Amino acid sequence: MSKNKPQPPGGRIWDFFASVKLSFALLLALALTSILGTIIPQKEHPGHYQELYGQAGGRIIEALGLHDMYHAPWFLLLLALLAVNLIICSLNRLPDTLKIIRKDPREDLKRSPKAEQSFTLPGTPAENAEAAGRLLAQSIGPAQSAEREQGGLALFAQKGAWSRLGVYVVHLSVLIIFAGAMIGSILGFSGRVNINEGGQVDSIILDNGQPLALGFSLRLDKFAVSFYDGGMPSEYRSDVTFLAKDGREIMKAVLKVNDPAEYQGVDFYQSSYGQNADSLTVDVVRDGKSERVELKQDQWVPLPGGGEALLLEARQEVKMGDMYQGPAARIGYQDPEGNRLALTAFKAGAKMPARGPLKFEIADMKMVAYSGLSVKHDPGVWFIWVGCGLMVLGFLFTFYTAHRKVWIVLTPAGKGRTRWEVAGSTNKNRLGLRRLIDRLAGEAQAGQPGE
Amino acid sequence: MEALSNKLLVWVTFAYLGATVLYLCHWVIKARAFGLLGTILTWLTLAAHTASIVLRWLASYQLGFGHAPFSNLFESLVFFGWTLALLYLIIEWRTKLRQIAVFALPLAFFSLLYAMTKEPDIQPLMPALKSNWLIAHVITCFLGYAGFGVSFALAIMYLAIGGAAIPQEKRALTLDDLIYQTVVVGFILLTAGIVTGSIWANSAWGTYWTWDPKETWSLITWLVYAALLHSRFMRGWQGRRIAFFSIIGFLCVLFTYFGVNYLGGLHSYAAGQ
Ligand code: HEM
Repeated sequence: MSKNKPQPPGGRIWDFFASVKLSFALLLALALTSILGTIIPQKEHPGHYQELYGQAGGRIIEALGLHDMYHAPWFLLLLALLAVNLIICSLNRLPDTLKIIRKDPREDLKRSPKAEQSFTLPGTPAENAEAAGRLLAQSIGPAQSAEREQGGLALFAQKGAWSRLGVYVVHLSVLIIFAGAMIGSILGFSGRVNINEGGQVDSIILDNGQPLALGFSLRLDKFAVSFYDGGMPSEYRSDVTFLAKDGREIMKAVLKVNDPAEYQGVDFYQSSYGQNADSLTVDVVRDGKSERVELKQDQWVPLPGGGEALLLEARQEVKMGDMYQGPAARIGYQDPEGNRLALTAFKAGAKMPARGPLKFEIADMKMVAYSGLSVKHDPGVWFIWVGCGLMVLGFLFTFYTAHRKVWIVLTPAGKGRTRWEVAGSTNKNRLGLRRLIDRLAGEAQAGQPGE
Repeated sequence: MEALSNKLLVWVTFAYLGATVLYLCHWVIKARAFGLLGTILTWLTLAAHTASIVLRWLASYQLGFGHAPFSNLFESLVFFGWTLALLYLIIEWRTKLRQIAVFALPLAFFSLLYAMTKEPDIQPLMPALKSNWLIAHVITCFLGYAGFGVSFALAIMYLAIGGAAIPQEKRALTLDDLIYQTVVVGFILLTAGIVTGSIWANSAWGTYWTWDPKETWSLITWLVYAALLHSRFMRGWQGRRIAFFSIIGFLCVLFTYFGVNYLGGLHSYAAGQ
């Protein structure tokens, strides 16, 4: 179709990128290489690959980026090539397609493609023309007609020229999806946060481990799990409140699995839950003397005998081989000079060697439920949905509409009869067109079209 | 009700086999009556199959946690068999080519036979699976798989009746066209299936795409069929080549469906208990 087009500058590279062969190769190359990432575990610790595939294998995997292959430069390059292929191919063909769509039907009227059905009926061509025009109008569209030599007549009708644009809609949708994915990966973020029941957070931990301030706060008012009769969990639910920087309550929301909440473009998803220590009662043992203190997670508490302490993390059940089994906690300690260090606490009587200037012994641990939320911001996601919708619509448009043309040529056949020759052409579904032509011929011969 | 549904299913499974035999007799002996009997039996079987699925659905409500019967491997195999039989009957109705049944109906039979080896208990849904998008996802995916399955059956038939490189005679031309048409149906529905799956994942986990093995394999399948559709625009790619291509595509479908369970990932709940 594009052979006699004027060659754009850089003809050979252009042609290379305009070819369907390249897209065929790229689609299969993407399919084949994608298999690798489903066999090789992704995003594991580097050492893990050496364990699995040996030292050399591990190094090859690292070098080719196979540990995160869907983001490896060569894989992204394949995707980029596909996008370029798609753009150039479309630009290359669009002018021809538009020409076909805008083509003057009178030009088609002059042609006489090979007839698929021919028969004779009584009457002159002019007398038959009315029936032929009506038949075309019913099944295709309004007919144009022109006289032919020796008293003949030609009729032509077409429909669905626009269907040729369907493929462009599909291809555009692919580009929109690519754009959405890029926008999401450049401008979006993804992280997580745990909130204790009754607690409040104003920042999250990004996937790369960095904290990110939200610019607002989120409070967990209540967390609940409900169960089926058999004991399987049926629903996880977090009731939360969004608060402005000044502490004003702005919005309440309920988070469930499959039912996230959004505030200021940031989406919160119910993702996990568990028990956290709310407060920890410890005996502070210093110089043989012991005194009881309650520690909190988010505030420094002054200790008798100087210094301050803060609860970092607590677990109700920790097992350390034969050495210890029971509750454990990590506690931040700041001495009167301002030096900080982290100490581990066990229950009284544990045979664990104490280090540091003082020792904490766990007396009581108050647990509280926490809810783990995934936090996402993806400004590209609407491109994805628009692209997907457009793609499916484009498919229907491409595959289930067709540009059909039908000719009926009427020529005098002697003895007061007229020869009908019915021909057609289409860009899709030739069998469907043939059926249509057979039907047209049948109706014409039955004499009373459409009744 | 659950027991009735399961009992019905055993009959349905072997009725598909019986229908295949009738269609085979029709082909070999060329007696029209067999073909007609095959068609009648297949429609009745599909009706019973539908009843079995509906009963299972109702039974889940009786158990107090009603959900659509598309939530585990057993249920998906039963539904896959149903979509295959339905799509076959539609094609038979449109083309009157009863020989196709000999290749298409065994797929429905094997799908159900395989289901029989799985645990049929109705289970409540875990929270992540409670979504209307999941229902849309499963229905579109399996209708798509059925399109590819029937295309595969047609491709086998094309090769079985001679497998000309370029189709010439009428039946080969029709088969060639049907292979393509069914791939198109499968492709559109698989696309819709991937999209609804992404929407579901996005509402459950906040990411529409995570490259988990099942997702990736559905994309691989999609890419293979996209390549098939484009191969039409390269000279000489019809007939036998397209038939082979359709067979490879369906192998990808099967791997997406079954093979991936051995690779782990988000969809491993579907691995069957
Ligand atoms: C993932 C990417 C792609 C998808 C989903 C896609 C989809 C489609 C679909 C559905 C058709 C219609 C097929 C038919 O009528 O049988 C089509 C046709 C076509 N595609 Fe693509 N395509 C993609 C990539 C490409 C690329 C990269 C090229 C670059 C050359 C390309 C070039 C064409 C051409 C030339 C046609 C034929 C148009 C016509 O009917 O005249 N496609 N594509």
